[in-house]
Amino acid sequence: MGFFENLFGGRRDRSASVAKQRLMMVLVDDRYKLTPETLEQMKVEIAEVLSRYLPPVDAEQIEVKILRGEATDYLKADIPLKRGQPDMG
Amino acid sequence: MGRGITITSGKGGVGKTTTTANLGTALALQGGRVAVVEGRARLRQALIKDKRLPELCLLPAAQTRDKDAGSREQMIDLTAQLRREFDFVLIDSPAGIENGFRNAIAGADEVIIVTTPEVSAVRDADRIIGLVEAAEKGPPNLVVNRIKPRLVNRGEMLSVEDVLELLAITLIGIVPDDESIVTSTNRGEAAVYDHQSQAGRAFLDVARRLRGEDVPFPVLQEQQGVLERFFGIFGRRRS
Repeated sequence: MGFFENLFGGRRDRSASVAKQRLMMVLVDDRYKLTPETLEQMKVEIAEVLSRYLPPVDAEQIEVKILRGEATDYLKADIPLKRGQPDMG
Repeated sequence: MGRGITITSGKGGVGKTTTTANLGTALALQGGRVAVVEGRARLRQALIKDKRLPELCLLPAAQTRDKDAGSREQMIDLTAQLRREFDFVLIDSPAGIENGFRNAIAGADEVIIVTTPEVSAVRDADRIIGLVEAAEKGPPNLVVNRIKPRLVNRGEMLSVEDVLELLAITLIGIVPDDESIVTSTNRGEAAVYDHQSQAGRAFLDVARRLRGEDVPFPVLQEQQGVLERFFGIFGRRRS
């Protein structure tokens, strides 16, 4: 597979978007002393809490970003939810 | 009373001094009285007048072995004194986040941060932004230097938008990577004198924005290809 996909820029991420992802991680660590490991742990715990109220949430699918704002930063989380089954009871 | 503006970057080698020199020249060309101060200048030093541009004065770094020469208080005094005589006092900060940088922002009212679209430069810029905010110098302005439009279009270089999203400060300049900077540096001239220079035009725009003009950011042109450059040799020749 690799060759043609690489040739046409298929599967391999563009280096700019890789750089941006890397920077997001690094800046979060710089600003909040939050290592990638701690971030992963946070996702696991977020998943645990949400799973108490919602259909089971997969920690690995949670995306957490910290964005810099004018006066404050924002934590933005994308958490995919499995569609709930309609209650047939 | 003039404005004290420190130009800083965190990381060295991103074009901070080139930016300071061009911005100083541009502001003077546009009629402002400008003093350019290097990070470790001292109070009782003579200002040197630019030969071509009487509005532009330089205060070069003090020749001294003392690393901390020019204390914070001295820098504040110096800037205050110069602000009485000049419209703009540009302070070229040393790289890093050590004493030199802290002294360089001490006397400033405003800060301009120079970065390039690279991971390490943006990271250091982010650190500097934190320090500038902590020093309560107001929100800094950003110059993104050495943009290569062709690489950005191919997705192989961080775009200005990417950098802005990461740093979230106000943009005041986009300067393309431009070979003419090498030529003008060799000649010891500012690129703003060279009307062919894209970078020079970009620095003139930064100066106008700094003076409060609303100048739109132009879409950067691709650098011409090898063939065009080859044929271009026959077309124009600089003395």
